[in-house]
Amino acid sequence: MIKVSQLLKTVPTADGDLTILHSVDLEIVAGTSAAIVGASGSGKSTLLGLLAGMDVASAGDVWLDGVNLSALDEDARARVRAEKVGFVFQNFQLLPALTAKENVMLPLELAGIDEAGNIAERFLGEVGLQDRLGHYPTTLSGGEQQRVAIARAFAREPAVLFADEPTGNLDTRTGERIIDLLFELNARASTTLVLVTHDERLAERCDQRFSMSAGELSGP
Amino acid sequence: MKQALTWRLLAREWRSGELGILLMALVLAVSVVVGVSSFVSRLQSALLSESARFLAADMVVVSRSPLPEPWVSAAHEQQLQPTEVVGFPSMAVADIDHMALSSIKAVSSGYPLRGELLWSREPYGEVLATGAIPEVGEVWLAPRLFSLLDVELGASILVGEQPLRVSGAVRGEPDATTAVFGFGPRLLMNIADIPATGVIQPGSRVEYRLLLSGAPEAIASFTEWIKPQLGQGQRLDSVESAQPSIGETLDRAQGFLLLAGSLAVVLAAAAITLSSRRFGERHTQYVAILKSLGAQSPEIAGLYGRSLFWIGLFGTLIGCLLGWVLQEAFIRVLGSLLPVAPGAAGVKPILIGAVTAAVCLMFFAWPPLRRLGQASPLRVLRADMGIAQAQRSSDFVMGSVAIVALMWWYSGSALVTGAVVAGLCVVMGLGYMAASVLLSGSRSVGGFAGSLWRVALAGLQRRGRANALQMVIFAMAIMLMLLLSVVRTSLIGQWQAQLPSDAPNHFLLNLAPEERSELQTFFADNEILSETLYPMTRGRVISVNDAALPRWEELEEDGAPRQREANFTWSDEIPTSNALLDGEWWTADTDQPWVSLEEEFASDIGAAVGDRLSLRIGADALEVTVLNIRTVDWQSMRPNFFMVFPRKVLEAFPGMYMTSFRLLPEQKSLLNQLVGVLPTVTVIELDIVIREMRVVIDQVARALELVLGVILLAGGLVLISGVRSSLDGRLRESALLRAVGARKGVVLGALWVEFLVLGGLAGALASVGAEVAAWGLQTQVFEMSWTPTPLMWALGPALGALIVGALGVWSCRRVVNVPPVVLLREV
Repeated sequence: MIKVSQLLKTVPTADGDLTILHSVDLEIVAGTSAAIVGASGSGKSTLLGLLAGMDVASAGDVWLDGVNLSALDEDARARVRAEKVGFVFQNFQLLPALTAKENVMLPLELAGIDEAGNIAERFLGEVGLQDRLGHYPTTLSGGEQQRVAIARAFAREPAVLFADEPTGNLDTRTGERIIDLLFELNARASTTLVLVTHDERLAERCDQRFSMSAGELSGP
Repeated sequence: MKQALTWRLLAREWRSGELGILLMALVLAVSVVVGVSSFVSRLQSALLSESARFLAADMVVVSRSPLPEPWVSAAHEQQLQPTEVVGFPSMAVADIDHMALSSIKAVSSGYPLRGELLWSREPYGEVLATGAIPEVGEVWLAPRLFSLLDVELGASILVGEQPLRVSGAVRGEPDATTAVFGFGPRLLMNIADIPATGVIQPGSRVEYRLLLSGAPEAIASFTEWIKPQLGQGQRLDSVESAQPSIGETLDRAQGFLLLAGSLAVVLAAAAITLSSRRFGERHTQYVAILKSLGAQSPEIAGLYGRSLFWIGLFGTLIGCLLGWVLQEAFIRVLGSLLPVAPGAAGVKPILIGAVTAAVCLMFFAWPPLRRLGQASPLRVLRADMGIAQAQRSSDFVMGSVAIVALMWWYSGSALVTGAVVAGLCVVMGLGYMAASVLLSGSRSVGGFAGSLWRVALAGLQRRGRANALQMVIFAMAIMLMLLLSVVRTSLIGQWQAQLPSDAPNHFLLNLAPEERSELQTFFADNEILSETLYPMTRGRVISVNDAALPRWEELEEDGAPRQREANFTWSDEIPTSNALLDGEWWTADTDQPWVSLEEEFASDIGAAVGDRLSLRIGADALEVTVLNIRTVDWQSMRPNFFMVFPRKVLEAFPGMYMTSFRLLPEQKSLLNQLVGVLPTVTVIELDIVIREMRVVIDQVARALELVLGVILLAGGLVLISGVRSSLDGRLRESALLRAVGARKGVVLGALWVEFLVLGGLAGALASVGAEVAAWGLQTQVFEMSWTPTPLMWALGPALGALIVGALGVWSCRRVVNVPPVVLLREV
């Protein structure tokens, strides 16, 4: 499970420190889904970065599956990400140098898993891209790229999956299909799903819902 | 697994073209360095052979007494090939009316050990190089000895008491300039005939030469062995002490090649820096994704480190291979220049190439890639996060130190390195000043301009910092290209000026005053171009400040002041191609007993300005004071003199005249007629030497062109890398402009203006830097005179603007050929 206590994030500006997260506390139970909603600039992406251990808080603690991320350095947090975390991003973040299959293989290879190729093929099959294994990202549509990203996120069978505006760059119908896929795979793998979105309908499908406004959290 | 990922990234990057530029820059650096340094080491070995040719051996033991037999046996034992030469001046007698003082050279089989002995059957007949020497009982005469003695082939002449049959004409000896036995024309005979002549008596002025050739190690060990045994009047003449006139040309060419190699290293380092910088910037997002997927900093560093290792390995291997091809091309172009097959280049050039690759990669490519490991994974969430500065000042300082050290090691010259570094510093200093003033002011100018200019000038200012760096790199590349072009042009120009096509190629000495008009008539009748006649009196320096100088044969220590015989002349003005070192010149009508001495001559007799010299001219004595010391350009092909007097001082003494003249190959037979008309004159033929020098200069000039071409290629690569380094930003902005409705003409025009301004400024800066470096190189390294190059000041900015403009717009051409949406998605 994910537990956050008194999380504070400030950034230096020309006029002094600016606080972008104010003493955030939250808990997300393992195997459930949670949505963090809010307007642009409310601080939800900053919170996601801290929850996933990609950034360090100015104060407070983040516990992810029993590990206190605040006590770790960047490389130790990277190890935690490799073992426990999967990501789906708004702009897909596929490596253009690699094919769809190679993109899915990447986290498996980084973790030293031998059967990376077979696993990647299986997961790309699960997202319906078995015919697109050798395609490069620039030759895939937005929806297809996001499906590759979802396959990549689930291939490592992570304990927690973070999704940052996963439908933000997709049209409504494609977005709905992607969300269905995401929830279906999540249910099958019993992964803890943390979604950042400003789409209220998407947030309603989650077990928990947190609202961010001006760096402060309210809910669930 | 990681290796597989490395390979996949490498393969994909190769297709994207980013690695191509990095690898090409590396390959170019290594191949030019390996090619040029292999060529230079092979040229050096050929140079040694060339110098050896002027000695006719690798080393010569010179003695005024007969050579001890154990020395010859020792040479055999040490695997050296020896041959003996004996030389002395003596009379050659045809009959009672025909005799001539000759410079006699007696050689044994094997002579010459290096170079070729040229001879002909007729005095001016077809030249042969058959490896023969005169048989026992025979002699070969210098062509004009035939006229002086009035003999023909097959005639018998006397040397001492021994009659010898004339069987050929000696036309060229490799050691003619280093083995001079008196002033007369050459008579070549077999050493076996010497005892029978009976001319060598105790006290005779004879020079015994033991010529030796063999492996450098054997020469070195023999030198060690013999040095302690050398007694009075004995010395070693080695390749180093022989100074052929051609050597200077080849030395300068070698200096130029090393300079070119050093510039190639700087250019390649710049190309590598730019390529790695762009590579690093483009990979920041990759790394953020890899880190979000759990990759740790050491893994990232390992991934890029391995990539760089493989690039380095491939780059070095391909570079060494191409370098070998390059030096083979050099050798082929210069094949006819090299008298012997040049030796192997050895492994040093490969080592230099590998070290260059390692230094370039370690100091220029690795820093931006190493810092990729520090990229924040947060970039995957925040695309607007800035890219960490790819190059830091510490990288710049370390890289600069490394490249200066590499240039120094490579060129072996602090002066070459210093001159280039000074030029680069000027470019960098002025570059940043100009960039900050001009680029920041561009927007205010742009505000009054049309939309195309407004867009372009706003673009220049917006990327001010990146543009300043880009401009300085453009300026450096253009500077190095201009510099090499200027140095090459002035080197070749000077060589050609040294040997103009109408340069005199014969000297004529010992012309009696009453023969002057006869000679002038002969020249006029036969349309022969000649210099003016110089008066010439032969005399000897007996003492300096009343201290008597020892005679040559009384000399106890080589190099000590001694009596010297020389040709004297008089002149109202300092002779052309002479320069005063110390003292002053006299006024034309002076009758003061003054003398002007040539620098080395002054050192030989141990005299300085203000010293009194006692001279003997024939039976007369003359006391003079040294008024000045001069340097003489011995390459000038003009009559030059060790001692010059005021006209009124020397006019009273009987003397002869000398001149130089030009004879075309088809006029060569006129020499026979000339010595027939004026039998007492001495003619020195330099036409073969001049022809050889001209061939050398032509060939060396071609080598320089070849190297210049390679350097221009390297410079072009830097310019391409420079343009590409800012490509993403420009493409994005141009695509946005098109997306909001800008016409193709405006977008393309704005790019033209932006690159033309950058290129023009860079060209102007480059001209300043190149002029500074050219001054340093020409005056300090090549010992040439410096003249400003106004053409470069005009060409620099114009070419800079044109090349950078064209390259820039060509690189960005996709912006008008590809739909903006595709571009925006890609970048």
